[in-house]
Amino acid sequence: MPVVALRKVSKKFGKHVVLDNVDLEVAKGEVVAIVGRSGSGKSTLLRCINGLEFIDSGEIAVNGRRVTRNLADLRRLHREVGIVFQSYNLFPHLTVERNVELGPTKGKGIPLGAARKLAHDALAAVHLTDKLNDYPARLSGGQQQRVAIARALAMEPVLLLFDEITSALDPQLTGEVVRVLEELAAQGRTMILVTHEMGFARRAASQIVFMHNSRIWEHGPPQQVLENPKNPEFQTFLSAILRN
Amino acid sequence: MRYVFQFGIVADRTDELVHGALSTLWLTACGALGGLALATLCVFLRTAGPRPVRWAVISYVEVIRNTPFLVQLFVLYFSLPALGIRLYADQAAILGLAISFGGYATEILRSGIEAVPRGQIEAARALGLRPFKIFRRIIVFQAFKIVYPALASQIVILLLGSSVVSAISATELTAITNSLQSQTFRAFEFYFVAAAIYLGLAFATKVLLASLYWLVFVRGREA
Amino acid sequence: MRTFGPSEFAFLLAAVRWTLLLSLVAFCGGIAFGFLIALARVSRFFVLRGLAQAYIQVFQGTPVLIQLFIAYYGFAVLFDLRIEAWTAVSLAFTAYSAAFLGEIWRGAIQAIPRQQWESAECISLSYFAQLRYVILPQAFRISIPPTVGFLVQLVKATSVAAIIGFIELTRAGQLMTNVTFQPMIIYPIVAALYFVICWPLSQFSRLLERRFDASRGITQGL
Repeated sequence: MPVVALRKVSKKFGKHVVLDNVDLEVAKGEVVAIVGRSGSGKSTLLRCINGLEFIDSGEIAVNGRRVTRNLADLRRLHREVGIVFQSYNLFPHLTVERNVELGPTKGKGIPLGAARKLAHDALAAVHLTDKLNDYPARLSGGQQQRVAIARALAMEPVLLLFDEITSALDPQLTGEVVRVLEELAAQGRTMILVTHEMGFARRAASQIVFMHNSRIWEHGPPQQVLENPKNPEFQTFLSAILRN
Repeated sequence: MRYVFQFGIVADRTDELVHGALSTLWLTACGALGGLALATLCVFLRTAGPRPVRWAVISYVEVIRNTPFLVQLFVLYFSLPALGIRLYADQAAILGLAISFGGYATEILRSGIEAVPRGQIEAARALGLRPFKIFRRIIVFQAFKIVYPALASQIVILLLGSSVVSAISATELTAITNSLQSQTFRAFEFYFVAAAIYLGLAFATKVLLASLYWLVFVRGREA
Repeated sequence: MRTFGPSEFAFLLAAVRWTLLLSLVAFCGGIAFGFLIALARVSRFFVLRGLAQAYIQVFQGTPVLIQLFIAYYGFAVLFDLRIEAWTAVSLAFTAYSAAFLGEIWRGAIQAIPRQQWESAECISLSYFAQLRYVILPQAFRISIPPTVGFLVQLVKATSVAAIIGFIELTRAGQLMTNVTFQPMIIYPIVAALYFVICWPLSQFSRLLERRFDASRGITQGL
């Protein structure tokens, strides 16, 4: 059973079509990199998978269960799917430790002791155990983004979503975040990333998905898709990226 | 509750209530215009005047903003006679409202002037625009546009605050409502209707001021 | 006829206590109810939102004096009761404060970016947990400067209670004037007493505003 299955997913914002008959399957342990120009629907796709937005037609199933608007189902979905945003969105009034602990304690109802352990393990996975009592404002962008990853990890999700998490970072800070992503991928986690980091995609992704104008035009393993792009739009996109 | 509502009695006195409402509007208009004129002068003095004058303006603003309007009114109406200035209630009311509004408006205008982007002023200077008039026009116009919403809010506050002048028996809606309810013993109905009238007046004033904004700052600028 | 001297001044000072007490009671009550109103104002349920908005607009769109008259004279006639001045003023000013503080809180809550709500939702927090652990702590900080500013507005507003005869500072001034026939001294002294209470609060509010780097609240009540 795939971790995520999208069938004929469509969505409109008013008259503007954002997702057009999208089909996608992600198996356990897969790392899927979704690439494409801005406005192609990539972020929306991610947000629909974890219930932040809702689709107009089609079906999204996570771990075999359909994504619905039901509040209880959504809360369960959020326990299974972790998401990291481009602008990290840490809680500024809480320390790093409290930021990461909040989900397990108040979202899952885990007692403080066990939750603290989860938090420390998650922060260890992103190499930030020395920043427990700092407030987010004191951290660099790369560090804040790693805390955001830890916050998602502490929930012990079956699926991790990453929405352009390096796009807002200064170039010299992306390295530390990409390293964490590679480690997570090597651990066999199921991950879907909307990203511009083609280097990471080539190295670590099991599947690259190219979206353009709200549709998927090409997908497959990196070697196949990057060496021999079939879709003309994708070819243009790749040459534009590689030129930089 | 054995009370029987008799709004009909209120309806009988509509003329007087309308007179009250118009008086309130009149007081508000006088207070706002007078206060605005005073505020413009004060803001000018505060920026361009000699130090003692600047301090006088600052003191005026702080006193107005940190004392109740009712007390200011009592000072005008009851305390001034000691200096030989005896005002009629209606005169004291308008003067009090204008002085009070002036205090708040001065502060509002001052923050507006400070908020005019420095770049505008420098650009104007760099373009060698003939100093006084045109220069002022840019700053004053921009400042006014920035603070218009705050001024509009303050005018509505003025309108509602004018009810306090009933305490010195000046003519306006609350005073008239007071006398009507004491004549008819229909306190609840009359005050309820008065509240509704004030709500209506406040709403109408907001709409009027918003339209004025649109006329002057939006449509007027499409040149 | 008496002249204004130390014992008369003491009478005014005693009345200051009532001004402060009324302000405090209304402020605390206003915080409690205003909090509920703000929650209603931002809730998902359009009926709650509508009711809260109507409440705020009524209390912000009518004069305090009329609200007081309704509480004191209106309800007395309506329920055939004799309502004590203290009851009427404390209820009326509490309701008044609740509207203004509710609006301040609403603004503070709505100033928190949407992404904070989303991030909290995505770690499986319920609506109330999102409010309690993420949104409200941040909103609270933002709401402090305008709340202190409102306290100044409230203290000034309590002067209106004099008109129904409640003995706070302004009424005491009136009574003193009736006895000493020296309004030219008394009312300025009354004004000075209010100034001594309000000005430090205003300065404190400005200090807080600067610290939070927010520009709000240049309009104030009469």
